[in-house]
Amino acid sequence: MNAAVEIDVKSEAEAFLIAEARLLDAGRFDEWLALFAEDGFYWVPAAPGQSDPLNHLSILYEDKSVLGMRVRRLGHPRVYSAQPAPRTAHLVGNVTAAPGAEPGVDCEVRSTVMMAEYRPGQAADRRLWAGQQTHKLRRTPEGWRIVLKRVDLIDCDAVHGILAVPI
Amino acid sequence: MPDSIAPDALRRLVLPDRVHRSLYTDPAIFDLEMTRIFGRCWLFLAHESQIRAPGDFVRARLGREDVIVVRARDGRIRALVNRCTHRGAQVCQAERGNTAGFACPYHAWTFGLDGALNSVPHRQSLPPDFDLKDPRLALAAVPRVESYRGFVFGSLAPGGESLVEHLGPIAAVIDNVVDRAPDGEIEQAGGVARQEYRGNWKLHHENANDTLHPGFVHESSVSAARGDPRDYAAPAYDGHQTHTQMLSNGFGVREWQSLSLTGFPAGHSYMGGFYRGGVLSPDRDDPVWREYRARLVARHGEEKTARVLGEDRFNNLLYPNVSINAQYQQIRVVTPLAVDRTRVTAFCFRLKGAPEALFHRAVRFLTNLSSPASMILSDDIEIFERVQGGLANSEPEWLDQSRGLGADRTEAGGRTVSAGLSELPHRAQYAAWLRYMTAAA
Repeated sequence: MNAAVEIDVKSEAEAFLIAEARLLDAGRFDEWLALFAEDGFYWVPAAPGQSDPLNHLSILYEDKSVLGMRVRRLGHPRVYSAQPAPRTAHLVGNVTAAPGAEPGVDCEVRSTVMMAEYRPGQAADRRLWAGQQTHKLRRTPEGWRIVLKRVDLIDCDAVHGILAVPI
Repeated sequence: MPDSIAPDALRRLVLPDRVHRSLYTDPAIFDLEMTRIFGRCWLFLAHESQIRAPGDFVRARLGREDVIVVRARDGRIRALVNRCTHRGAQVCQAERGNTAGFACPYHAWTFGLDGALNSVPHRQSLPPDFDLKDPRLALAAVPRVESYRGFVFGSLAPGGESLVEHLGPIAAVIDNVVDRAPDGEIEQAGGVARQEYRGNWKLHHENANDTLHPGFVHESSVSAARGDPRDYAAPAYDGHQTHTQMLSNGFGVREWQSLSLTGFPAGHSYMGGFYRGGVLSPDRDDPVWREYRARLVARHGEEKTARVLGEDRFNNLLYPNVSINAQYQQIRVVTPLAVDRTRVTAFCFRLKGAPEALFHRAVRFLTNLSSPASMILSDDIEIFERVQGGLANSEPEWLDQSRGLGADRTEAGGRTVSAGLSELPHRAQYAAWLRYMTAAA
C-alpha cells in the first residue's frame, strides 16, 4: 500500500465517522443502526481497558439485534428517560486508520470522541462524555459497515446518571 | 444530633393509606432518618468474598459514615471510620485493595488493620502522657459488625437486636442465593455499577415491588421487545436474555395480580411468584442449565435441589438498604446521600462450582438492569426524579398508598400478605419507618 492509498483510506474513514456522528446528533438512529454489519456489536465498557464483555459488567454491550430494540425503544412515544429528547453534539478527532487485523475486518479506525449532551426538562443536565473509540469496519458494496464500535469513556467506572442515547 | 421532631409530629405524617410529602423533601426528616434508621439499623456493608485475606479491604457507606471494611490478621472483620484521629484526613482513597495498614498522608500517623494507632512521627514533641494505646487515638470502629452466610452487615448502635433478629424470615433469600452454588460458596465478581438519582432513597424501595408501574413506566422497552422478530432457536450472544428481561415487565394486570406480596414488621418485603410466569425464569431447558442443575443435585440431592431452585421470591428488600435477587445472583445497595439524592450500587455473584456460562447470565442481567444505559432502570430513575420534582410543590401535601388497603392479611409473626397489585410493600415500609423513627434511643 503506498502513502497516497493510505491517506485515501484515512480520509474515507474520517468521513465515515463524521457521517455517523451527524446521524447520532440528528437522532436518526434507524440510519445509524443500518451502519452496523449484521454481525456487528456496539460496546461501551465499564472498566478501563476491559478485555472481556462476558465476565465483566459493561455500560452497554449489544449485538445488532439488541441494538435494534434500543433504537426502536427510542422511537416510542413514551420513552420517559429520553423525553424531552437529549440534544447532542459529537466531536470526532485524532483519527488514525490501519488495515484490519482479523478476518472480516478491513480497516481499524481509532479516534477520540467527545459528546456534549443537553437533556432538556427539569433536570436540564449539561454533560460531557469523552473517550477513545475504535471502529472495526468492513468494506461492502453498500459502503463501510461496523463490525465493532467500542467506546472507552475516560470515566467508564464512575458514578453516572442516565445514559439514554448512544454515544 | 437532630432530635427535634417529636414522635407525635412524626405519627401525623404516616397514615395507613397515605404519607406526607415532607418524608421526601424535608432535610430535618432526612437528618433524623440518618440518626434513627441509618444510624441504628443493620446495614449491608460488603460480601466476605471481597475481603478474603488478611489486609483485604473494601470501602462502604454506613449512614453518613465513610467506612473501610477490613479483615485483620486474626481473620476478624471490622468496619473502621475513614478519618485520621489527628487532623481528620481520610486514611484510605482506594475503593478496594489489600494493605498492611493505613497511613495518613498528612502527618504519617499509621494505623493497623484493627484500627490501632501504631506510630506517629516526632514522638519527643508530644506531651509525655500521649499514649499510642489510648482508644480515642485508634480509628473509630463501627460498634457492631456481623456476618450472615458471608453477607457482612454493620450497625452504628452499640446494642439492640442481633442481625439475625433484624433480618428474620427475609434471611431466606441469602440462604437461597448461597444454596444455589454447587460448591456451597458464592463470590462477588464482574464489577460494580454505580448510579445516582436526584430523588429520595425511599422512592427506590417503593418502586421495587410496585407491580402496577411496569405496564406504564416500562412500556417503551416492553413494546420494543415485543416488536422484535426473534427466532429463539437461533443462537444469540446473550441467549436472548436482554429480550426476555425487557419482556418481563409486560405482564397484564391479571398476571401481576396473581403474584403475591409479603411485608414484614421490620420493613422487609418481597414479591412471590414472579418467575412462575416463565418469561424471565432462569430455569431454562438448555445445556448450561442442565449441567448446572446436575452439579447442584450432586451436592444437595434431587429433593433439596428442586426446593432451592423452586424458591420464587423477587426483589427481596432487606430494609433499609439492600435488595437481593437470588435467581440471577444480583444485589443492589441503596445509599441515601441527601434528602433528594441517592446512590444505587449494584453487583452480582458467581456461584462457585456452576458452569462459567451461568455467571455470564448474571453479568448480563446486571448490565441490562443496573448500567447507566439500562433500558429498564433508566426509566425508573427518570420517574423518581419527576416524583421528586412534583413533591417540591407544597400542595397537595399527601401521597396516596391505598391500593389494596383492606385486603392485606396479617399472618403469624406479623407478616402481611396480599395479591400482586397491592401497595402493601409501601405500607409495610412506612409502618417500620415510623417505628424506627419514633423509637427511644
